[in-house]
Amino acid sequence: MRVELQNVRHVYAPGTPFEVEALRDVSLAVEPDEVLGIVGGTGSGKSTLAQHLNLLLEPTSGRVLVDARTLKGGELRRRVGLVFQFPEAALFAPTVEEDVAFAPRRLGLDEDVVRQRVRETLELLGARHLAGRSPFALSGGEKRRVAIAGVLAMAPEVLVLDEPTAGLDPATREDLLGVVRALREGGTSVVLVSHDLDEVAEVADRVCVLEEGKVRAVGTPEEVFYAHPEASLAPTTVRVVAPLREGRPEVGRPVRFEETLAALKGLLEGRG
Amino acid sequence: MMAGRTLGQFYPVESPLHELDARAKILATGIMAVGLFLVDSVAGFLLIAAAVVLLVAASRVPSGTFLNFLKPVALIVSLTVIFQVFFSREGATLLEWGFLEVHEGGLVRGLFLALRILLLVSTAALLTATTAPVKLADGIEDLLSPLKRLRFPAHELAMMITIALRFIPTLHEEAQKITRAQAARGADFSEGGPIRRARAMLPVLVPLTIGAFRRADELAEAMESRGYRGGEGRTRYRELRFRARDALALAAAALVVIGGILV
Repeated sequence: MRVELQNVRHVYAPGTPFEVEALRDVSLAVEPDEVLGIVGGTGSGKSTLAQHLNLLLEPTSGRVLVDARTLKGGELRRRVGLVFQFPEAALFAPTVEEDVAFAPRRLGLDEDVVRQRVRETLELLGARHLAGRSPFALSGGEKRRVAIAGVLAMAPEVLVLDEPTAGLDPATREDLLGVVRALREGGTSVVLVSHDLDEVAEVADRVCVLEEGKVRAVGTPEEVFYAHPEASLAPTTVRVVAPLREGRPEVGRPVRFEETLAALKGLLEGRG
Repeated sequence: MMAGRTLGQFYPVESPLHELDARAKILATGIMAVGLFLVDSVAGFLLIAAAVVLLVAASRVPSGTFLNFLKPVALIVSLTVIFQVFFSREGATLLEWGFLEVHEGGLVRGLFLALRILLLVSTAALLTATTAPVKLADGIEDLLSPLKRLRFPAHELAMMITIALRFIPTLHEEAQKITRAQAARGADFSEGGPIRRARAMLPVLVPLTIGAFRRADELAEAMESRGYRGGEGRTRYRELRFRARDALALAAAALVVIGGILV
């Protein structure tokens, strides 16, 4: 499934003194089977863009197309799962199992299919052992896993994660990035909205940089990050390698941590 | 986010009414409220209505905005009028249509009641539109402070009002966020009858309530860590000053009301 934004513009509170143009003429597509990273500073329009991908926000002008067709919001929401920032704020059921079952039940699935979905999703997020507990008695990281499972249990074709790792410990964060990779392997596209360039660098197939509501750059991580190796636009790996590349093109353009480590090793050994 | 302007919202402009001491305005509103129940003549209502119109003009709140403040009560007012007009059998019959009869007494009473409610709400709206919530709470605390001797928790009450007002927009925003998060999970808040719709609100209300308690805890800790220990010996950043013009305003309000009752 391919979700495409065409010339999307979004204005909050139009016609009032509080009017804000959050997105200005954004065109961008989420391709099938990819992890698309969306990066940008606070107020760059990342979260607004995320909510357009399942039409929770309607564009002020422009279109949202799915496989070149327009869909109604309700239909789109079944196929594109959106996990908001701090999704644990929306946990509500007495048990984890019930909470995760909410979305698949809303889809009208059979009870045994729902149960199976819940089990599989909790398993994927490493939260199977929490099924019988109250979501309010969990730790921050556990709540986050459960809340993400609550959306993933709909089995969406595209999963949009808005700052999924904000405020998490490094271990849970690594686990979540692992989940993103696993989903992509399983054929689900993932849109990872984040201000953390390092984590986007680890998992993204393509990167889109938003700035003041406009797409400033879009492409593979190598293209985007090596075009702007400044501190505010590139992950640590690129900021380390970019200055070393001068006169040593053989280093290449590594972005992920392991690639970068291998490239630097190669450089050191070559010299010795 | 934008909650829309509704009843009881502060309208921040500069005007003679905004400058008045909160206590004077609260007392004047109280006098008007009591007076409105005693007024019983067309002339009296006209006098008070004229005074309210003048005050609205003096408050520099645009009249359109001010009328918006009154919108929420429009339904109640029209219902009361309808009931009074059709179900009161007092005085001469003016109209007869099937089982419906309109009597003179009912018409007059309905009109008086509508005016009474509208003027009451207008004075209350004037108070909240021209007085910042914090000043309002300060004023209430000060007016209630003589009751402290009777162990009435005046400071606590004022603090509660301030905090409640401060958190209305926050909770509103939180409710919107949760609603959207549940909508993303397929929740639908518009289908089915009233009971189904009320049930559909549960996934929003439960986290909202839990969030409010968490917020309350955090706020209490933040206040304590900044040295808050209740009202005892606490000084104010904004000092209240009751000046000559405040006394004058209060006297004017009392005069208008007495005039309205007497004519």
